[in-house]
Amino acid sequence: MDDFFTVAVLTGILLATLRIATPLLLAALGELVSESSGILNLSVEGMMTLGAFAGFFAANQTGSLWAGLAGAALGGGLLSLVMAVMTVTVKVNQVVAGLALNILGSGLAFFWYRSVYEGGGGSIDIPTVQTLNLPWLTYMAFLAAPVIWVFLYRTKYGLELRSIGHNPEACDMRGVGIASRQYAAVVFGGMMAGLAGSYLSLGSTGLFFPGIAAGRGWIALAIVIFGNWRTSWIVVGSLLFSFLEATQLSLQTSDVELPYQLLLALPFVLTIVALVFNRSRSRVPLSLTIPYHRGQR
Amino acid sequence: MTPSPPPELGDGDRPGRRTLTSALLQPGAGWRLEKRLNVRPWHELIALLAALGAAVLIIAVLVAAIGKNPWESFAALYNGAFGGRISALETLVQATPLIFTGLSAAIAFRAGIWNIGAEGQFFAGTIGTWWAYDLWGGLPAPLSFIIMFAAAALAGAAWSSIAGGLLVRYGTNEILTTVMLNFVILYVLSYLLAGPWQSPGTFYYQTERMDEASFLPRFFSDSRLHWGFALALLTAAAVYFLIRNTTLGYEIRGVGINATASRYKGVRVGMVGLAVMAISGGIAGLAGAGEILGVYHRLQTDFALGVGFTGIIIALVARLHPLWTVAVAIAFGALVNGSTAMQYETGIPSALVQVIEGVALALVLAAAVASRYRIRRTARDG
Repeated sequence: MDDFFTVAVLTGILLATLRIATPLLLAALGELVSESSGILNLSVEGMMTLGAFAGFFAANQTGSLWAGLAGAALGGGLLSLVMAVMTVTVKVNQVVAGLALNILGSGLAFFWYRSVYEGGGGSIDIPTVQTLNLPWLTYMAFLAAPVIWVFLYRTKYGLELRSIGHNPEACDMRGVGIASRQYAAVVFGGMMAGLAGSYLSLGSTGLFFPGIAAGRGWIALAIVIFGNWRTSWIVVGSLLFSFLEATQLSLQTSDVELPYQLLLALPFVLTIVALVFNRSRSRVPLSLTIPYHRGQR
Repeated sequence: MTPSPPPELGDGDRPGRRTLTSALLQPGAGWRLEKRLNVRPWHELIALLAALGAAVLIIAVLVAAIGKNPWESFAALYNGAFGGRISALETLVQATPLIFTGLSAAIAFRAGIWNIGAEGQFFAGTIGTWWAYDLWGGLPAPLSFIIMFAAAALAGAAWSSIAGGLLVRYGTNEILTTVMLNFVILYVLSYLLAGPWQSPGTFYYQTERMDEASFLPRFFSDSRLHWGFALALLTAAAVYFLIRNTTLGYEIRGVGINATASRYKGVRVGMVGLAVMAISGGIAGLAGAGEILGVYHRLQTDFALGVGFTGIIIALVARLHPLWTVAVAIAFGALVNGSTAMQYETGIPSALVQVIEGVALALVLAAAVASRYRIRRTARDG
C-alpha cells in the first residue's frame, strides 16, 4: 500500500488523467453545443469510432497528421449531418435516430477498416509535443472549453442557440432561424466527436481497431449530464472521470486490494446520482429531444 | 428533466413549411407536400417497401465500392441464413435473444417509456441465471429451469426498476439512467468473473461450464436450436395478449399516447410506469437465461454484444407490434447468421450487418414519417 503513493506513481496517474480526459472533453464539449440547441445526439460513440477510423485512414494514406485530423472531423461531421437531417428536417425521434447512427457509425468504421486493411493495418508515427509528453490535441481540448463558454454565454449566436434549446417557438417568432442553427450545432458536435476519435487512433496508439472507442462516447454523454450542461463542470467531470480511470489502471498493476471495476463503474453511478440531485436546479435545455413544429404546441 | 415525448417515431412536418424535403419535392410552385388526414396501412406498406429497397441499394453501393459484387454477397448472405435446414435453424438460434429484447423494447416504448437498457438487463439476467444455477442447479429438470428463468427475469426486472423507480419517484430521465446502468452492470459482471465466480485455474473472465443436466434441451440433435426459442414465441404471444386484452395493456397504450389524459382519467400513471419498466427488464432478462442455458453454458463477458440495442431497432422496425417483432427479429437473426457465411465466402467483412441495421432503421423511421404525407399538384403559389 505504501508503494502506491509514491511521487512517480502519482505523476503517472495525473499525466494519464490528462491523456484520458482529452477525447472525453472534446466529445463532451461538442455534445454540449448540440444539446444546447435542443438536439440530443446519442450517437457520440458511433461518431467517435468513425472519426477514429477516418482520421487513421486519412493520415495513413497521405502521411500527414493534419489530413488525419481533417479526415476525423469530416467523418464525425458527416455522420452528424445525417443525424441533423433525420432529427431537424424529417423530425424522427432523436433517441432512435441516435441509436441507429451509433450502430451505423461503428459498423461503417469496422466495415471499411476490414475492407481496406484486410488482415491488419499499418501503424503511423505521430509527432507529439515533447513537454509533458502530451499530444497537443490535449491543449486544444482544454482551450476549447473557455472558447465554447464564451461562445454560448457571451455572444449573440450562443444566446440564440441556447434559446432554441429552451424555447424554439419564441425564437421562431423573433425570426431566429431554427433549423440552420440546429444543423450547425449538431454538425459541430459531430466534428468534435470525430476529433476525439482521432485522438484515440492518432494521438495515443497510432492504431485503429474495432471497439476503439470502448464506451468513451457514452462517458462523454454522461459527463454532459454530470456537469449539468455547464462548461466548467464538464471540464471538472472529464477530469474526475479520467482520474478514476487512471487510478484504476495503476491499481491493476499494484497490489492494492480494491476491485478496479468499482472505479470504472463509479462515473456512471455518479452521473445517475447527479441527475437525481440536480433535478431542481437542472440546466437541461427544456426542449431537448422535443422536435419543433411551427404552429403546434 | 423534462418528461420524454410520447413514442411517435416522428411527426414529420406541417404542410407549407420550407424544409429540405419539401424543397426537394417542390421543384416549382405546382407541387406541395400535404399531411394525410388518415394514413392507411397500404401507405405505410409502400413507404416501408420503398425504405427497404433504398436500404438494399445503399448497401449494394457500399459493397460495390470495395470492389465486391453486391448480388453475389447478398446471395451468400441469404444462403448463409436460409440456405439449408441447419443454417435456417441456426438463424432461429440467433433470433432467439433478439425476440426477447425486441419485445422488451416494444412494451416499454408502447407506454412512452424509453428503456434503452435492454443491453444491461440482458446481462443482469445472465447474472441471475448463474446465481440460481449455483444455488438450485441440482434440482430436477423442469423445476430447475423454471427457477433459473424466473431468477433471470427477476434480475432483469430489478435492474430496470432502478431506472423505473427513479423515473416515477424523481422524474429522472429514463433514457439517461438506463444508458448509465448498462455500463454499471457490465462492471458488476466483470467483477464477478474476475473474482468470486471465476473458473478456478484459468485466466479467462468466465465461469466453469455448467453440468450437462442444466443445459436447456434442444429440439434436434444436429442443431443448437433450444427451448428458449419456444419460450420467446410464448413471450411474444403473452405480450400481444397483455397489450391487447388486459386492463394493464389498455393503460399502457393510454399512457403512451397521452399520459396527462390517462392521469385525469384516474389511471395511476406511476404504477403503470413501474410495472412496464419491470416487465420490460424481465423480458430482457429472459434473453440472458436463454443464451446461458441454451447456447453458452457458462457465464462470460463476451456474449454477442449489442443484443439489447439491436432489440430496440427490431421493435421500432416492427412498429412496436409484438408479433411483427418476432418476424423482424428472425430477419435480423438471419442477417447475423448469414454474415458469417458471407465473410467466409466472399471476404466481405461481417461488420456489414451493423451497417445494414443502421441504414435499415434510419430509412424505416424516415418512411414512417413519409407515409403520413402525400404530394399534391396544386395551383401556382400553392
